[in-house]
Amino acid sequence: MVIFNYYLQNFCDETGEFMRIYLSVTGVIVFIFLLAAFPLALDIASGNLSFHFDTAWKLVKDYFGGIISGDSFYYLEGKDRNQSFLKDVPGFFLTSFLYLITAAIISVCIGVLIAVWHSKSKQEWIKDIIGFLGMIPDFILVLILQLGVVFIYEATGERIARIATRGVGEHAILLPLITLSIVPAIYLIRTLGERTYDVLSEDYILTAKAKGLQKLYIFIQHVIRNVLPYLKADLHKVIAIMMSNIFIVEYLFNINGLSAFLFNVSYQFDLTVNILISLIVLYLLLYWGVRLFIACLERIFSHD
Amino acid sequence: MINWRLWIGIVLVSFLIFISLFGPQIAPYDKDYMEPSGYYYNSEDDFGMKAAPFPPSKDHLFGTDQWGYDILTLLLHGAKYTVFFGMLTAFIRIFIGGLLGMINGLRGKPKSHTGGFGLLGSIPAFLIIYFVMIGITVNSSLSVIELIIIQFILMTLIGVPGVYSAVYSKTLELRKNLYISASYSLGAGVFRIAKNHVMPHLKETLMVMFVKEIILVLSLLGQLGIFNIFLGGTILRLGGPEVYISMTSDWAGLIGQWRSFIYNYQWILFYPLLAFILVIFAFYMLSRGIELKKKSSFQKYPHI
Repeated sequence: MVIFNYYLQNFCDETGEFMRIYLSVTGVIVFIFLLAAFPLALDIASGNLSFHFDTAWKLVKDYFGGIISGDSFYYLEGKDRNQSFLKDVPGFFLTSFLYLITAAIISVCIGVLIAVWHSKSKQEWIKDIIGFLGMIPDFILVLILQLGVVFIYEATGERIARIATRGVGEHAILLPLITLSIVPAIYLIRTLGERTYDVLSEDYILTAKAKGLQKLYIFIQHVIRNVLPYLKADLHKVIAIMMSNIFIVEYLFNINGLSAFLFNVSYQFDLTVNILISLIVLYLLLYWGVRLFIACLERIFSHD
Repeated sequence: MINWRLWIGIVLVSFLIFISLFGPQIAPYDKDYMEPSGYYYNSEDDFGMKAAPFPPSKDHLFGTDQWGYDILTLLLHGAKYTVFFGMLTAFIRIFIGGLLGMINGLRGKPKSHTGGFGLLGSIPAFLIIYFVMIGITVNSSLSVIELIIIQFILMTLIGVPGVYSAVYSKTLELRKNLYISASYSLGAGVFRIAKNHVMPHLKETLMVMFVKEIILVLSLLGQLGIFNIFLGGTILRLGGPEVYISMTSDWAGLIGQWRSFIYNYQWILFYPLLAFILVIFAFYMLSRGIELKKKSSFQKYPHI
């Protein structure tokens, strides 16, 4: 009976988990439909703001009707070109994904390394600088980097990085990656720094030290592996920060990613819904991609 | 030791508030004054044609934009929107989120609050506001004040949950203290406990959160500005290349409307950018100052 109860409990927990994910997915989908309908359904009639539910409902109905015929997956480019969304989206998606996953891996590496090193320095001015860098919005960072590169070019004639992607061949890579990785890296440095400080004061570190183990060995074997779980717990937040940055970065650096797709093609309800749903897929892929990377790190640092 | 961060913060923030209040009076030109382009003749060797944008000079400290408007004047006129909108929105966010968080934290069952599945993180906050505002903010028939109020409501709604969950978890933490249980058993109500026992501890935290929320609100404004959603409305001029102009010339909007001045006439972008960074620096210093003040007043000292 006890065992049965245990299983029941377990079962309920798991269905609870499942239900929660299910609910959140449907919730987000409904939210996306609502959001995409806003530009058409919200209007100002004689100075009064009104939201037309019937317009929104019709858009959603048309979308679902168009899924079977495939109309929902076509969009209008320019004046008369009818393009297939499913054929075009992989390119944009891949661009965004590659930028994001590279930046995510860079920021996780930098974040963990500096957090482990930084945690011991309790100087307030270092915290000042790191905190201020973390507070500077992404668009300011982008514009300053761009202005800086132009300034250096004008002063010395040295072209150190591309300011924006031009055409098909010339991709801006360095500056977008810097901007994309700096903000999450600083977030990780701040949160993981505190965790590392806690870990460093644990008894097993003292035991390791008493055994005469080398400092580097203790860091690799005992500190990093105990910090990684916190990294996993914070990952959703980190990815959310990056998803917000990618819009600004792609837009200002003229990168042909998913968000450029959203803003450069004129507004269409079906297209907007499709892109927003791809954003969720991007988010999930990125999340599991980084989880895979952390799993690799765990293989390196926590094998016994 | 003097808390110099706090003082720098207070001085800079007072300076910003002064500018916001008296900016239009001390501005060197009228808001509508355009430096005319034309010919000039000083001497036989010194003559030619002059045309906007004029670089920074004695007449125009920060230069003029591409039509000849004085940038310093625009900044002084727009300051009040940026500063006061940021402060008010942050205050209401803290007020509503803090109140709800405190009351729910004292009332609710003290169970661990697992943050839900973070799927909504795939849709950045500014995108939500963007889709709601895009249909009504460009060449709008609503007045500036109405648009500001709509944006204020949206930004408050988006920010409250974050404040709520932070205050909620802090209150749960405080609730474990014995003096609160004692107060409970003596028959104190939720409001009394919140006012007399929780608030004194949360006061500084709430103040730091308030200042940081201001920075968050301003970053959100700036991100929207990059996508041509300006506080108080966007003027779109067609005929020729599309030109987006901020109605209120608030600082985030100015950066947004001049964001492409990277390759030449950089002063047009540089000074608004500098002004915006000054705002963030001022509030950041203030928050650091309050943080350190709290740290030193709650620090434990040895008795002998």
